Amino acid sequence: MLRSVTTRMCAIGILLALAVLVWAQEEKAHVIMGLQSPPPIRFQDTLPPGALQAKATTACTECHEARIILQQRLSKAAWIKEVDKMIKWGAVVDAADHDALVDYLSTNFAVDQPPYEAPRTTTIKKVLPK
Amino acid sequence: MSAAALAMGANPLFSRAFPFPQTGSISLPGEDGMIVRSVRFFDLETPVEYFNTWLTPVPHFFVRNHMHEPSELEAGTWKLSVGGEVEKPLSLSLSDLARIETHSVVNTLECAGNGRGFQRPQVPGIQWGKGAVSTARFSGPRLRDVLQRAGVKSSGKHIMFRGLDEVPGKVPPFIRSIPIEKALDSDTLIATHMNGAPLTKHHGFPARALVPGWIGAASCKWLTEIKVLDSEFVGNFMSPGYRLPNQPIKPGDSLKPEDTHPVTSLNVKSVISGPLDGSALKAGRVSVHGTAWAGEADIAKVEISTDGGSNWTPAILGHEQARYAWRLWRHEFTAKRGDYTILSRATDTQGRVQPETPAWNPSGYLYNAVDEVKIHVA
Repeated sequence: MLRSVTTRMCAIGILLALAVLVWAQEEKAHVIMGLQSPPPIRFQDTLPPGALQAKATTACTECHEARIILQQRLSKAAWIKEVDKMIKWGAVVDAADHDALVDYLSTNFAVDQPPYEAPRTTTIKKVLPK
Repeated sequence: MSAAALAMGANPLFSRAFPFPQTGSISLPGEDGMIVRSVRFFDLETPVEYFNTWLTPVPHFFVRNHMHEPSELEAGTWKLSVGGEVEKPLSLSLSDLARIETHSVVNTLECAGNGRGFQRPQVPGIQWGKGAVSTARFSGPRLRDVLQRAGVKSSGKHIMFRGLDEVPGKVPPFIRSIPIEKALDSDTLIATHMNGAPLTKHHGFPARALVPGWIGAASCKWLTEIKVLDSEFVGNFMSPGYRLPNQPIKPGDSLKPEDTHPVTSLNVKSVISGPLDGSALKAGRVSVHGTAWAGEADIAKVEISTDGGSNWTPAILGHEQARYAWRLWRHEFTAKRGDYTILSRATDTQGRVQPETPAWNPSGYLYNAVDEVKIHVA
């Protein structure tokens, strides 16, 4: 029994050591890659805080980036149409959450909000084709 | 998956739902300085300051996707099927296409939603500014040569394109059709090349439809199926998508499908590529420049006003031209100290003129207001 526990502890220890090694190699590789190629694309999947933040994130960003929502400036009537279209297209929204989701979107992304400032891809001359 | 694995992985574009925080810039090989409208789905806008060459370099060519780009594309196994109302259905490989006579068309490709972000009241969709438009030389076999090999039956009236886009959830597939007359036009292509090089993945590798002078949505990317139909394809992206009201409507008005028509050819439009809006210049000679296009028509003239629209002067049009391609233009004037509102207004050979305020429509299609930049001269 004791021997079995010791063996298991050793096995876990070896696995942990291997995991750390792999992680270190990946980080090293990333640094090397970083010199030759740009870092990965960053998705924008953060919606504004609010009671419906988590449910909206699950329902919407399963299919598309939050950035598509962040750039909309719509009336409540237009948001109802959008939410209903997206439910038809597979967004999972509990019927009990429907109105609260519309309120969340039409409050945070109303027509009088300042426009969304789209970022730009980084200029990296060295990776442009000749 | 760690960030390192993502960097080294097959392609981070197709990984899903990574909760990264927003940063000011996004690095993407070969697509420098592009405006990011969406990463997933992938939509990049060309900044207007890049509109200074007749042909847009591929890394600066706008990208519009409705769905996820195909995760797997293998040139060796890729096939294009041609079926429906034909005598002899075909299955063509990339090398089969390469054996058919190649034709080249310089085409200005514009997303139907270009300028949607300027519509008031606002409408839903990607909030494009001025740059969901670019120009390239597309090459490949004529669609009509492929259709002739299959033998279109007299019942064939519309040509349907299906791409390899990966559809999320229950979203309807991005399938559309064009009328047979446009499909048989000698300039409608199955394009395999862009500016002399094979299509890149973002632009539809290994083959895409190229329907010149029409909205970008007609030119289906990652083409995998051509089907000859006896009537217009029935699907979301033919109706209610990509339709315009027959008569101007007001926001909130209901719109019946029978009171709409498909969006096809592009509008007449000009854009100022410099000076940039909000820039400060020194007094003296100022060069105003930009580009203008008109879909299936040609640009007749571009007029510039440097006083907010009171007086207009014709711009000099660039020498490079082709039937479906934009014309670059420029105009110089002497600027004294002060604030200037510079406008550009294009007129085409069909007599269409860029309006001050285009008619509003519920999807924000074909926005083509007179372009405007404000500058300060010190």
